[in-house]
Amino acid sequence: MITGLVLLGIVLALVAFVVGIYNKLVTYSNRYKNAFAQIEVQLKRRHDLIPNLVETAKGYMAHERETLDAVISARNQASAGLERAAGDPTNADAVKGLGNAEGALSGAVGRLFAVMEAYPDLKANQNMMQLSEELTSTENKVSFARQAFNDAVTAYNIYRQSFPTVALAGMFGHPSDATLLEFDSEAIAEAPKVSF
Amino acid sequence: MATNFFENQDRARKKTGLLVFFFGAAVIAILATLYAFAVFVVGFQGQDPSTGAMRWNLDWWSPELLSQVVLFTLLIVGGGSLYKIAQLRGGGSAVAEGLGGRLLHANTVDPNERKLLNVVEEMAIASGTATPPVYLLDGEAGINAFAAGFTPNDAAIGVTRGCAEGLTRDELQGVIAHEFSHILSGDMRLNLRLIGVIHGILIIGILGYWLLRSAAWSGAGHRRGGRDNSGAVLLAVGFGLMVIGFLGTFFGNLIKASVSRQREFFADASAVQFTRNPDGIAGALKKIGGLAAGSRIEHPSAPEASHMFFGRALPSLFSTHPPLEERIRRLDPSFDQQLAESAAEPAAAGAVSGFAAGSLGAAVDQIGEATPAHVDQAARLISSLPAAITEAAHETWGARAVIYALLFASEQSVRRNQFDWLERYADDGVLEESERLFPMVSRLTATQRLTLIDLVIPALRELSLPQYHAFKDNVGALIAADRKIDVFEWTLQRILLQHLAPAFEPVRPSRVRFRSLERVAPACAVVLSTLAWAGARTRTAAETAFAHGAHELELSDLRLLEPEQSGLDDLDGALVVLDGLAPLRKRDLLHACAVAVGADHEIADREAELVRATADSLGCPMPPLLAGQSLV
Repeated sequence: MITGLVLLGIVLALVAFVVGIYNKLVTYSNRYKNAFAQIEVQLKRRHDLIPNLVETAKGYMAHERETLDAVISARNQASAGLERAAGDPTNADAVKGLGNAEGALSGAVGRLFAVMEAYPDLKANQNMMQLSEELTSTENKVSFARQAFNDAVTAYNIYRQSFPTVALAGMFGHPSDATLLEFDSEAIAEAPKVSF
Repeated sequence: MATNFFENQDRARKKTGLLVFFFGAAVIAILATLYAFAVFVVGFQGQDPSTGAMRWNLDWWSPELLSQVVLFTLLIVGGGSLYKIAQLRGGGSAVAEGLGGRLLHANTVDPNERKLLNVVEEMAIASGTATPPVYLLDGEAGINAFAAGFTPNDAAIGVTRGCAEGLTRDELQGVIAHEFSHILSGDMRLNLRLIGVIHGILIIGILGYWLLRSAAWSGAGHRRGGRDNSGAVLLAVGFGLMVIGFLGTFFGNLIKASVSRQREFFADASAVQFTRNPDGIAGALKKIGGLAAGSRIEHPSAPEASHMFFGRALPSLFSTHPPLEERIRRLDPSFDQQLAESAAEPAAAGAVSGFAAGSLGAAVDQIGEATPAHVDQAARLISSLPAAITEAAHETWGARAVIYALLFASEQSVRRNQFDWLERYADDGVLEESERLFPMVSRLTATQRLTLIDLVIPALRELSLPQYHAFKDNVGALIAADRKIDVFEWTLQRILLQHLAPAFEPVRPSRVRFRSLERVAPACAVVLSTLAWAGARTRTAAETAFAHGAHELELSDLRLLEPEQSGLDDLDGALVVLDGLAPLRKRDLLHACAVAVGADHEIADREAELVRATADSLGCPMPPLLAGQSLV
């Protein structure tokens, strides 16, 4: 009977341990999903600003139709990508797709600002100055929220891959690592630099 | 006064005693039943092959069996409770997430979420606590809410979707005020312990259920084996444990009901007192009554947390909440003339105390409660802040800039050092944002600054761990830039860490270690001396202030310490010790602080800041001084 009790004690301790792992996985994944919500807010704001920016630019640079259209189409793609990723931040494809789309958008906006250098009137436009200021600050917020998201994802992945969690994670509905949100490097190099 | 923070805290602690008693009774009842059951299981000798009758060999007194049963029970109940309590160490946020809550971001644009956050913010400022994180239970259509946590510092508020969408602002304010009453009265801590204890009791039934299932499995495999008793015994044991588990559930509900019901009335009355609007909370209760989903909570974890909720989360024999009609009747005189008096009384008392508050001493009396005047003032205070500042304070990125801007020195040379530091170590754009905010921030009054600190906490809680450490380092560096720590800097750091640390670092909830002030006399001397020197221009003035405070404490041989012995780092050490005081003694101490500060009939900003930070460090949320509140 005593051995039975000891066995029972061991089994209980094991159960508690395993439940603990399960709960911790849930906490970590909640955390990174929460962090994604922050990015969503900031990216939405960015997507809302860009049409205004293009609208203002249109009046001054009618000959740059292509550049402007490129910005709008990149913005629409990024917006669709955001919707998809926000629906399920655990979906690796969706997160990667969003990263690429945002990268492309930054690239397009960067080119727009480069072209704008040739239009001093536009650069002096009050509305334009305000918009690009706001865009820059939103850009900073996006990168900060992205950093927080990636920190949370890394913490989740590290915990998921550690032993003995790795043996149980699949069974508990955490079959794969969460995906870091990277805006591809080409875009980061060309992040809109506004110099007024 | 209907509400008294310290007496409530004390009473909540006594209730803990009651809780331990019930828990003990439940364990003993479970033990006795288990033992009787074990005697039967062991005494069963099988069936008589010829007659088919059961053969028993019952031995009613077997010390060996008894000790085994005791060991078994303690192992399971104790293990279950301890495990759950350990899990709840995460505080209010852990509970809210466990119930399926989604954290609301301070910069949300959804109008219902915005309204909810604004109401919470006003109530927090009015009662002098930092704004708690708010979780939305998206899956719940019923109208319900809860507050969870060990202290006001790690508290979280959870609200169902039905509550956020279905209630008017007034009704929502009533519900939130009800929850703040739980936060401020120390009920929450008891509630969390209760979850742990009940989990331990319920676990026996869960174990029985498992055994029953595994017995059914193995039984199926053994059927061909003929006379094998082990399957049958397992089945019987599983069934027995399940029955005993029902006993556990019974006791669990009894405990929850005994601790919870009375406090719901109390919290309702406090809600009226905070808002001076019985219609708000009564309206919310009426809406619960009229809604098909009522206040039901669907989440599977609801049974162990049902006592924390605003309305009844689950139907049960011993209800955790008083009947809806009776709660409404107590709030709404027109519902029943007979009971009108009891509801009108706390409301009137609240109104009186709100306006009669005449000194910092009165502010100490108001610790843990908010009067309607405070709620009005909180709304005014928040709206008096420039929109650019509140907007920044509501998002993680800008919130850091707000804090940095608060810490910028007025001397240009020091500020240049601070800018250099941020340039190097802070994220892109933060320095520019801080510089942009600085002119606005530097014009704020002391009260507005303290309000602002309370406002930024929820946004800062959403930093990632590496970001939090970077932020903490930067705050430290900005404070150290002029090689000295002034009172505002100390207060800011103190309040920030007090409220942020629970979200990022393991923090032990404080426990009562000292029941008398004599035992912590040296620490008291440090606190009073710091306050005395802070407000005094001359040595005599400091001595007078100190003597007033010491007299209030009734500690005769307390001596004023030299300024070198009562600096802010000495105060840090003293506050750690004093946090272990019993609630009623904390009140005495804060009273003495108020008297010492008021001895010279004027209260400087830094004195108010020191008292606020001291109260905050002791876990006693102190409402801001009312506008026009004469200082002594």
